[in-house]
Amino acid sequence: MSRKDIEQALVRGVETLAAFIPSAPFLLFPVLSSVCVWSVRRVFNYRDHILTWKVWLDPEAVRTKPDDFILHFFAKNPDLSRIYAREIEAGDIKGLRAAFPALYPLLGLEDAFLRGLFRGELAAGAVRKIVAEFEARTAAAVEGLKPAEADPAFWRFLETFGMELASLGLHLLKDDDILDLILAAIREEHSPPERGA
Amino acid sequence: MTARSGRSAFGLALALAVLWGCASPLKEAKLHFSRAQEHDRRYESGQAVAAAKRALLEAEAAARKDPSAQAYTLKGLAEVRLERWPDAAESFRLAFTLGFASGEQWAADAALLGAALAFEASGLPESAGRAYAHLMGRAKFGPIRRAAAGKHVDLGLARALALNEKDRDRALAGLAKDVGRLLDDDFASGFAHYLLSQVLSHRADLRGSYEEAVMARELGLPSEKILRDNDNQIVFCRDRIRDALPQDEKDRFDAVHEAWTKRWGWRDARTPAWKKE
Repeated sequence: MSRKDIEQALVRGVETLAAFIPSAPFLLFPVLSSVCVWSVRRVFNYRDHILTWKVWLDPEAVRTKPDDFILHFFAKNPDLSRIYAREIEAGDIKGLRAAFPALYPLLGLEDAFLRGLFRGELAAGAVRKIVAEFEARTAAAVEGLKPAEADPAFWRFLETFGMELASLGLHLLKDDDILDLILAAIREEHSPPERGA
Repeated sequence: MTARSGRSAFGLALALAVLWGCASPLKEAKLHFSRAQEHDRRYESGQAVAAAKRALLEAEAAARKDPSAQAYTLKGLAEVRLERWPDAAESFRLAFTLGFASGEQWAADAALLGAALAFEASGLPESAGRAYAHLMGRAKFGPIRRAAAGKHVDLGLARALALNEKDRDRALAGLAKDVGRLLDDDFASGFAHYLLSQVLSHRADLRGSYEEAVMARELGLPSEKILRDNDNQIVFCRDRIRDALPQDEKDRFDAVHEAWTKRWGWRDARTPAWKKE
């Protein structure tokens, strides 16, 4: 595996991908991180995997959890227990339940696309910002992907690109290293990397 | 026809689909659909969906080239796996017209499920709820019965959450009974155990919820989302059960829990393999 080859491939990938979603540069990172996650696992059906994230937004999966499950989710996550200490202490289930639909798919079920979409906030620990912006940002992502989604060339590109990354030995890198490489490639080609994030 | 005989018909249809004909697209469709089932059995939902999509493409090609009951049946089965209910209804209807006897009933079930989903999306949960309850008890085709059960429980739990304590207990008891009937009919359904685990969790029966979630994991779940949610349920129940146990019982419980988590390849008692390190 040559790290430099992977870096160069990612830069080329960012350039091509940006042409497919010119009006939504904030989707470069989530789409590329999804591709890399699935390349590592040698699963080259990106259309399914990238579009799967929408399923995680299904409100039914999260709206019916019992209060105690929600409390446990916040209390056992070190970051959430600190950020939501006031609500947990006061047993403010209403407040926690309002934040749960945004945070459970992201931190409880760990969807790769959503983690990419909110990477900036996750890195900064800006959890309340995620909750406040979740609905608008995910709606913008749905809109941003729409033009490319309907273009078979977009999916063909992702498949070829993912196979190339896999053949370059992407699976030998740690997840965090891969994500850093993607961010560096986006910065090189398309600054700022998390615009709209 | 009972649900059990419906399952037999489903098994027979699959067996026939595998045995019949060797024209290329049909053969490919069978191969990909078998792979989808294999992936589902291994909880590899992403790959299962991908294989089902390939099966669908091949079955569509087979149906175009040489319309037959088996091509439309396979097409319908792949569409069911992809939750394209109206398309599945049409495929099963065509399979019935070409000689697949169960196709008519499966088509009716798929069409009703599609309609119920549309009712719910249009803000008519009562009508949707009645259709889900009907399909959960009467659908002849297992995957449709399962999908309807999931929606029935989701709606039931959402309603129960809005009730006062007494009414909620009664509603949850009714839901547990409904899922129990589903299990009487098909005890090997991992998804039904998952649903029961969710309902028992609302009733604060954590031991029962834990056992059902473990059973669900052992028997298999229909999607990665549900598998992960079920794992989170196991961790939640495990933590709460431990909190309430005296030390010696806690040690015994830990040993049993560890045996399961080792079997599933978890990193530790609270960390499934899919969790970020």
